[in-house]
Amino acid sequence: MGGEGWLFLFAVLMAAVLLFTMVFFIIMFSDLECDYINPIDLCNKLNQFVLPEMIAHAFLTLCFLLSGQWLAFLLNAPLVGYNVNKIMAKNHMYDATEIFRTLSGHKKESFIKLGFYLVSFFYYLYRMILALISESD
Amino acid sequence: MSQEVMLPQGWEARWDSQSNAYVYVEQSTGRSQWEVPTQPSYGSSNPSVSPAPQPAASHHRPGRRQYPTAQIQQVYGGGGYDTQPQAQQPMGGASGYPDHNAQQQQPQYFTPGFGGADAQPQQPQQPAYGQQPPSYGGTPAPPYGQQQQPYPGQQPVDQMANQFQQMNVGYGGGAGGGKQLHQIQTVNLIGMQPDVTGLVAPPPPYLLPPNAAVTASPHIQPDPSYQRCTLTSMPTTQSLLNKSKLPLALVMAPYRSFRGEVDGDDPVPVVEDSVIARCRRCRAYINPFVTFIEGGNRWKCCMCGLSNEVPQLFDWNQAENKPADRWARKELNHSVVEFIAPTEYMVRPPQPPVYAFVIDVSQQAIQSGMVAVAARTILESLDNIPNADNRTKVAIIAVSTSLHFFSLPADATEASMLVVSDLTDVFLPKPVDLLVNLTESRPAIESLLGKLSDMFQDSHTVGNALGSGLQAAHQLIGKIGGKIIALTATLPTLGEGALKARDDPKLLGTSKESSLLNAASSFYKTFAIECSKQQVAVDMFLFSTSYTDVATLSCLPRYTAGQTYLYPGFNASRSEDAIKFATEFGKVLSMPMGLEAVIRVRATRGIRMSAFHGNFFIRSTDLLALPVVPTDQNYVIELQLEDDIKGSFVVLQTAILHTTCYGERRIRVITQAMPTTDSISELYGSADQIAIATYLTNKAVERSMSHSLDDARNTVTKNLSDMLAVYKNQVTSSSGASAQLAVPENLKLLPLLCCALVKHVGLREGASIPPDLRAYAQCLLTTLPCQSLVPYIHPRFYSLHNMPNDAGNINETGQMVLPPALNLTSERLERHGLFLIEDSQNIFIWVGHEAVPRLIQDVFGLNNYGELQGGKSTLPILDNPFSQRVNNIVNKTRELRRGVYRPHVYVVKSDAEPALRSWALSLLVEDRMDHMSSYAQYLTTVKNKVNGN
Ligand SMILES: [Zn+2]
Repeated sequence: MGGEGWLFLFAVLMAAVLLFTMVFFIIMFSDLECDYINPIDLCNKLNQFVLPEMIAHAFLTLCFLLSGQWLAFLLNAPLVGYNVNKIMAKNHMYDATEIFRTLSGHKKESFIKLGFYLVSFFYYLYRMILALISESD
Repeated sequence: MSQEVMLPQGWEARWDSQSNAYVYVEQSTGRSQWEVPTQPSYGSSNPSVSPAPQPAASHHRPGRRQYPTAQIQQVYGGGGYDTQPQAQQPMGGASGYPDHNAQQQQPQYFTPGFGGADAQPQQPQQPAYGQQPPSYGGTPAPPYGQQQQPYPGQQPVDQMANQFQQMNVGYGGGAGGGKQLHQIQTVNLIGMQPDVTGLVAPPPPYLLPPNAAVTASPHIQPDPSYQRCTLTSMPTTQSLLNKSKLPLALVMAPYRSFRGEVDGDDPVPVVEDSVIARCRRCRAYINPFVTFIEGGNRWKCCMCGLSNEVPQLFDWNQAENKPADRWARKELNHSVVEFIAPTEYMVRPPQPPVYAFVIDVSQQAIQSGMVAVAARTILESLDNIPNADNRTKVAIIAVSTSLHFFSLPADATEASMLVVSDLTDVFLPKPVDLLVNLTESRPAIESLLGKLSDMFQDSHTVGNALGSGLQAAHQLIGKIGGKIIALTATLPTLGEGALKARDDPKLLGTSKESSLLNAASSFYKTFAIECSKQQVAVDMFLFSTSYTDVATLSCLPRYTAGQTYLYPGFNASRSEDAIKFATEFGKVLSMPMGLEAVIRVRATRGIRMSAFHGNFFIRSTDLLALPVVPTDQNYVIELQLEDDIKGSFVVLQTAILHTTCYGERRIRVITQAMPTTDSISELYGSADQIAIATYLTNKAVERSMSHSLDDARNTVTKNLSDMLAVYKNQVTSSSGASAQLAVPENLKLLPLLCCALVKHVGLREGASIPPDLRAYAQCLLTTLPCQSLVPYIHPRFYSLHNMPNDAGNINETGQMVLPPALNLTSERLERHGLFLIEDSQNIFIWVGHEAVPRLIQDVFGLNNYGELQGGKSTLPILDNPFSQRVNNIVNKTRELRRGVYRPHVYVVKSDAEPALRSWALSLLVEDRMDHMSSYAQYLTTVKNKVNGN
C-alpha cells in the first residue's frame, strides 16, 4: 500500500473517531435536556474533548496539505478556520452558566459537524479504495 | 360548596353524584340544567338583559360555553380600569367579528365619560382630541372600539362594573356563563402627551371563567408585585402567539419585601400544619384552581388532570383537635402562601446563617473611609443580623497584597491576626476560630471591628488580591453555605482572578463596547459555579474612584443570586456618601435570608419554561438554584407552548423551597390562573405594558452583552413596532400607511417606556458613559422589581413650587400625598420653579435660577439663589410648612421604592455645573437629547416601521 492509501486509511479512522465524538456530544446535550446530567458536570466533561477534537481535525487537514491532497484540504479548511476563530474569540469552551441559553445553537453545531464528518468519512473511504485499486493495477 | 356564592339569585347548585357534576336547579320552576346559570330566575328586574341561551343538559362540564350576551356587558361593560363604554369583542370563529357589527362600526374614539345609556349605535361619536379621523376609521368592520349594543335601552352599567372591579375580577366576576373579554380600545399616540399617571395602573384583569376557583376569595390571584404575566390571557397555540408578536413571560419578585405600612398588604399566609397536598404526577401544590371530586375525597390536579387523594388531615384542625372547614384553608383561598415543610423536604439539617466578610484594606480603601464605615455598620448591625437562635456564624478576612485572617476565639476579648501571603494556593492558616459563632465570640468581633480601619491605616499597600480572598472565604464557609459579602474599593490586581484596567475610551460608542460589558476573566464565572454548588452567595459592594470592572465582578452575584452595589466616587468624608452606604449595607445585613433555595415553575401541560433572566444559576431545564434568596429581586421567565391548550384556563405555579434563617424549611407557592383565548385581539386587550417593558429590558440587556448595544436598542424598537404592526393589521384591520400610530389602550405607555429604555444609561447611545456605570445600570435593570424598575426607566417628575395644597401632607386615610406626576419634558421646567426628578436611585432637586429668595429660604435655609451650592446634599428640615412638605415628599419617594436603596439627593442649579445639569436633564426622556430622538420622533420612527418603511 502506497502513501496515499495509508493517508486515507488514517483519515478514515480519524473521521470515525470524530464522528463518535460528535455522537457523544449530542447524546450529552439531550441528557442535559432530560435532566440526566447537571450543566456543571456536562461542561466539565465536554470541555475535555473540545480542544482534542479541534486539534485532531486540524492535524488531519495539515496532513492533507503536506501530502498535496488539495481537494481534501479545501474540504476541511473552512472548519479549521471556524475553529481557530472560535478559539481566538475565547468562546470555544462550554459555559455552564450560559449552557441553557446556548443549547440549541450547540446542538445545531454538533449536528452539522456530525454530518460533515460522516460525508468526509465516506469520501476518505472512497479515496482509500481508489488508491488501493490504482496501486493494484 | 362555595360555588353557590356565585350563582345568580333564584338558583341552587346540587351535587349529582352519578355524573360527578353540579346540576343547577331553578328554585321557582324546578327546572334543572348542567350549564352554570347566568341569569337570575325571577326574570324582569332588568329588562334589557335577555336570557342567555340555555340548552338542555347535554354537557357534563359546566361553565365552558361562551355567549355574547348582554350579561357580558353588564359584568364587564364599563371597563375595569377605564370608564369608557364597553367595546366588546364578541365571540365567534377565529376572527371573532360577526357580521352584525358591520353596520355599527364607528370611529374608534370615545369621549371620556360618554355614558352607556346615551351611546346609541347610530349616533356618530366625536373624535376626542379634535384630530382628523384616521384613514382606517372608515374601513369595513374595524373590530375594536365598536359600540356593540345588541339590546337598545340598556341601562348604564358602569356602576355595576365598578363594583365588580372592586371585588377583584380575579375570579371572573362571579355570575355569567359567558366568557368575558377585555375591551379593546384603540388610542392614537401621535401628537399626544402620554398620560404618565397610568404607569401605576394595575394590569388588565384576569377574566377567568366563573367557578374556575373553588373558593370565592379575592386573593386567589397574586398581587402584581409578586408575579405578573405579560399577557393576562394565555394563547391556545404557539402559532397564535408567534403571529401576535407579543412576548409571553412571567415577571416575578416572589420574595419581595413585606411592608405592611407602605403597601397596606397582608403578610404572606403560612400553612402551619405541614399538610401539603401535592399532585402525585406533576408535583403541583394544591391551590384554589383544583376541583374536588368524589364527594370531596379526591382532588383533580388543575395542571395535569390527575386525580389525587385529599390528605387525611386536610379537614382537621390539629391544634385544637377538631374538624376544620376545608374552605377556610389558606392554600385554597390565597394565591401566595407559604407551607412549613416537614422533614422529608430537608436535604440536611438546617444550616445556620453564615456571613463571611471579605474587605479590601488597601491604601485607597482606607483613605476613602470605606473600611471605617463598613466596620462601623457591621458593628452597629450585629444585633440586626438574623440570629434568632444564636447559631449565626461570622468570619472576617481583610485583603490587600496578602490575606489577613482573624482568629476570634469564643473566650477572647481581642482578635489576633494571621497573615497569609501565598495568593496562588490559598490555604487557611488555622482550622478553627476563623469562622465563629456571632453570639459566643461577640467581644472579639466587636473589638476587631472597632479598630479594623486603624490597623491598616499606615500600611500603604497598593494592590488587592480579592479573588484569593474570595477563595479563602469560600474554603471557610463552603461546608455550610451562606453569604460572602465582598467590599472592594480597587480593581483586583493580584492573585487569582486578577484583572486589568481595560476601559479603553476608544472602545466606547463603538460596536466593541459590548466586550466591556462581558466578563474579562473566566475566574469569576467558574468561581460562581463553585459557590452555587456549595450554597454560597456573594454580594459585591464596589467603591470606585477609578475603573473597577463592574462587568466582571458582577458575574459573581449574578450566578450566585447575590446583588452588586456600586458607589461611584465614594468618599466617606462626605456625610451623604457615608449615610447612603451605611444605610444600604445595614439593610442588606439585617435582611432575612432564605438559604439553599430552588425555584421551580410548574404550569398546565403544554406550557414550557424556555428561558430565564435574573440572578441565579440554572441547574436544570426548569430548576433555578439560589444559595440565598434575596428580597426584592426580580426574575423573568419566558414561556413557550409546546402543545395546544385545550382547557378554558391555565394555571402557573411558582414554588420556592428554602430554609429560613431560623432553621425552618419553607415553601412559598404563588399560583396564578389565566383564561385561554384563540383571538389575537383578546391577546392585545390583555397585554400588560409594565410586564412587557420588564421583559424587553431583560432581553435588551442580554442582547447588549451577546451582540452590541446598538443591536439591543434595535431589538426593543423592533419588538415594539412588530407588535403594533400586528395590532394595526390584524386587530384594527386597517391596511396601508397611516398617519397615526394606533395602540391598544392598555399598551398606550409601552412606546414611552421603550423610548425611555433605549435612552437609559444602561443602553444609551454615546461614547461618554463610563463602562462601570453602564454595567451597573444593567445589573439594576435586570434585578429591580417592577415597582422600582418603572421609575428607574421612566423617572418621576414633580413640580414642587406650585404643588397642590395637600401634596406633602398626610391625607385623611393616613397616606402621604405626592404631587401630580409630570411629563418628562423640560418644557415643564420654569425659571423660577423648584422641581424634583426621581429615578429610584437618585433624587434631583432642580432649582430655577430665577427662584425667589423666599423659596430658597424656605427650602434650603439660605438667603438667595447665589448662595446655593449644587451637588450631593441633604435637605435641611426647617421650621416652616413648605420645607416639611418637601422633606415629606423626598422621604415618601425613598420609602415607595422596593429594595435597600437610599437615593442620593442632588441639588441641581439650572445655570451651573453643566455635568450635573445634563445628567438631570438626561432623565427627561421625552426630550431630544444629543442625537437621541425625542418621544415624538421615536413615535414617528415606530410609526414608519409599523407602516412598513
Ligand atoms: Zn398534576
